[in-house]
Order: sequence, then structure tokens, then C-alpha cells
Amino acid sequence: MIGAERKAGRSGWALGFYTALIYGFFYLPIVTLILFAFDAKEVPGLPLKDLTLGWFAAALSDRQLLAALSTSVWVALLSASLAVLLAMPAALALAWVRLPAKPAILGFIIAPMVVPHLVLGLGLLLLFRPVPGILGVAGVVIAHTTLNLCYATMILYSHLLGFQRSLVEAARDLGASEIRMFWEVVLPLSAPAILAAFLMSFTLSFGEFVAAWFVAGFERTLPIEIWAWLRHILSPKINAIATVIVAVSVAMTILAQLWILRRRNGARGGAA
Amino acid sequence: MLLRRRHGTASRDKHKVSPIAPVLLFQTVFFVAPIGILFVYSFWRMQDFRLITEFSFHNYREMANNPLLIKAFFLSLRVALVVTVVCAVLAFPIAYFISKKAGRWKVACLVAVIIPFWTSFVLRAYAWKLLLGERGVINTGLVSTGIIEAPLSYLLYSPFATAIGLIYGFLPFMVMPIYTSLEKVKDSWIDAAADLGASPARATWEVTLPLCIPGLVVGCVFTFIFALGEYVIPAMLGGGKDLLMAQAIVLEFELSQNWPGGAAISVVLLAIVFAVVAAVLRWVKMEEVL
Repeated sequence: MIGAERKAGRSGWALGFYTALIYGFFYLPIVTLILFAFDAKEVPGLPLKDLTLGWFAAALSDRQLLAALSTSVWVALLSASLAVLLAMPAALALAWVRLPAKPAILGFIIAPMVVPHLVLGLGLLLLFRPVPGILGVAGVVIAHTTLNLCYATMILYSHLLGFQRSLVEAARDLGASEIRMFWEVVLPLSAPAILAAFLMSFTLSFGEFVAAWFVAGFERTLPIEIWAWLRHILSPKINAIATVIVAVSVAMTILAQLWILRRRNGARGGAA
Repeated sequence: MLLRRRHGTASRDKHKVSPIAPVLLFQTVFFVAPIGILFVYSFWRMQDFRLITEFSFHNYREMANNPLLIKAFFLSLRVALVVTVVCAVLAFPIAYFISKKAGRWKVACLVAVIIPFWTSFVLRAYAWKLLLGERGVINTGLVSTGIIEAPLSYLLYSPFATAIGLIYGFLPFMVMPIYTSLEKVKDSWIDAAADLGASPARATWEVTLPLCIPGLVVGCVFTFIFALGEYVIPAMLGGGKDLLMAQAIVLEFELSQNWPGGAAISVVLLAIVFAVVAAVLRWVKMEEVL
């Protein structure tokens, strides 16, 4: 018995060590990306000798990069909002109403998940080509909404499946109309899931390249801009802007997690 | 009461079908229609830079007779398969660690798996370029520590580099579903196996692993499909010599302006994707894994 435990302990260490290695693999590229943002050399590479913050100043005063960044933020905001707005009613109906052919509808909604972004981008390009003015920001927003819809719907759907229906029943028994019930019961209690769906959509859209590349026309999102740069030059400016993005998204992830945890604890405290 | 409720749901059923309508409409116009157009294009052809809108199998015949495309096709399948197997082998122990050993660090460990995934593929591929290049971090490190004498040139711009990038990109997609499956395996079941005299290895092999198969299958399907259709990583890390399918599609569209040809390759890619999904859905129920 003791032997078995010792053995388990040793395999436990091996497992822990292995996990640490894989986390190293996960973060090695990101750390590299960030380190070279502080490297004074024109072309990023080892050894790191002179450190500078100059690339951040250079990146954040580069008109082209800033324009692409703002395009990306707009596209991500619009497509994430649109995805959540479309997904919420669908998720409500799927989770709470007995629908004919529900598995088929779910399958249809999930389908874009498995289609390569490249293929969707090309299809949308062929679809949009005859329509004037749509290739550009509008096209990218539509492409990203299509890609985000499945994730947003699934997040909201699984949240609503686990929703305490008794609260809705109570509101109805107290005479609340459907609309009031939605605004005052369902929506506030679904806020964490809605935020999760929105953040997921925003992030996917913000980083998406291939589909956007085909339907962006002459517009450039940040990934398109960076892609274009990388074809010609390796500049630490790219590392600097990447560092800013990583920092912002990690901060946002942590803040969102904290907010969701606090709300959950708050709800539990209120119930007790 | 019962009667009223039943009546109530029935009448609600009727007007509650409409909340799904916007999604279905949006997806029909911007998902079904584009793929339909691609499908139609694949039967047209280009002649002297003009689109001939006559039905023919021209592009598919060309594809079958193009040795470069055949090579890209099989290389894509091979790379996707290798990436899937490697990801599955790498992911299981981590998912196991997070689910069973991480204790109160569980959420932090999970979030740490997802965070890299929140950085654009373009940036992550660029990061691997910095790592794998001839003057990259890994080569410089290995040379300066004396492990190798000259930089390894095959690290970057090779199917090897593509595979590393794809494994890196899709490992989270493998970890998450396996983790979800593992969460459903109760510790007491593993303890029971141990009490009956099974070694930890045997308990893992005969109890935990079989119960994880749904998660493993979902992870494998997604990894395989994503790896098969991925463009950014092979384009940035794979170099121009050994093309994958996604690169071939872009070349047809961008360089040759042969849209019907590119559409035909896309249709073949889509057919493989849907065949894999359909095959898997035959023996794994969707409810089990979502």
C-alpha cells in the first residue's frame, strides 16, 4: 500500500513536470514576441543586449498601424454586438421552447464552426462582388458575425439550459409581462453569459485574418496590416503592438473572470 | 393548472418559433449562399481570363491530373493526421492534471490554456518564425550552448515547422473537450479501481481513458478539420516548396485568378470536412459532448 502511494507520488511529480513543460510550450512564443518588443536591434534576434521602449513609441505613433487597430476594434465591436443580438433570442427559444426539429436547427447553427475560414471568405467574396460598397468594413463585419454566431449561440444556449426556471415562473405568477420578465429577470441573470459570448466573439473577430483578408477590399484590419508587413519586413514595431494587445486581452480576461466570480458569489450571498 | 400550463406552452410554441428566424435567415444568406456560390463556380471555368458559365467537370478533371495538387492534397491529410495524433497524446495528461490534480488552481490552469489562443494566429505564427528561423531563438540557443555546430535549416519553412505551428495553435481545442469528459469521471470510480487492486496506470488505462473517448473524439475531429483548412500557419511557416491545400486554393484565386479552379479545391476540402463530421456523428451523440 505504502509502495503504491510512493509510486503514485512519483508519477504525480512526473505529471506535474510534464504539465509545466507544456505550459512552457504554450507561453514560449508569446514571451518571445514580448521580449523582442524591448530589443533595440532593427531585426529581432538573439542576443538581447540593448533594451529600449522606443518601439512602443514608434508603433503607437505609426499612422498605418493605428488606423488598422481602430478598424479592427470597430469591426470586433460591431460583429460581437451583432452576434450576441442575433444569438440571444435564438438561444432562448432553443433552450426553453419545445421546437420541432431542434437537433437539426442546432446542427445548422453549429455548422460554420467546421467550415475553414478560408472557404467562407472566398464564398463571401464571390457573393459580395456584385454588390457595390460591401467589400470593406461591412463585409468583414458580416464575415465575422457569421463566424461568431455559432459560438455566441452555444455559450448562451448552455447558460440558459442551466437557468433556474423557477425564477421565471415566479415572475410570471407575480404578473410580469413577457417583456418585463425578460428585462428584469432573464437579462440581469444572464449578464455573465452575455459578457462571455461578447468577449469570445470580440476576441475571435479581433484576431481573425483569412476571411477578413478576402472581403476587406481596400480596408485593412490589424491582422491584415501585420500580415502585409511581415511579407516585407520584420520590425520590432509588430512586437510592440502585439505586446500591447496581449497585455490588454490578458487584463480583460482577468477582469471579466473576477467580475463573473464576484457576481456569482454576490448572487449566492443574496440567496442565503 | 396543468391544463392551463399545457395550453399555455402550446400557444407559446407557435409564436416562439420566430426568435430563431433572424439567425436562420442571416446564416442562410451569409453562410449557405456563399458556399452554394462556391459550389456553382466549381463547375464553371476560366478561358482567356473570362468566366465561362457552362456546366462542366473541367476543374475536377484538371485537379485529378495535376500532380502538384495531388501532392498538396495528400500532404495536407498527412500533416493534419500527425498534428491530431500528437495533440491527442500531448493533451490527455494536461487535461488529466487540470481536472484531477490542480485542486484550487483549476480555473487558473484552464484560463492559462486558453489565453494564448486569444492572440491572433498571424502573431503566433510570426512568433514561431522568430523561434525557428536560422538566426532564430532556438538555433542561436542550441549553437551557443554547443549542442549543435551549425543552425538547423529545416526548422523553419518546412512541413515540420507547419506541424509545430498547428500543434501549438490547436492543442487548446484538444485539451478543453478532454477536460470536459474527465470532469464527468468521478474520483470515486478511480478509487474503486485502485481498491480492487488496479495500479494507477491500469486504472487510467481501463477506467479513465475509455470514459474520455467522447471528449477525445470531439477534440480529434476539431483538430483534424482545423488543421486541414488552416492557411496562415502553413503560409508563414511552411515555405513555398511543399504546399498544403489551403495554400493551393489561395494561389489559384490570387495568382492565377482562376476562381473556378480555387472553388473546386475548396469544394473538395469541404467535402472531406463534412464527411469526417458525418462519420463521427454516426457514433457519437452530439448531446454527449456539448
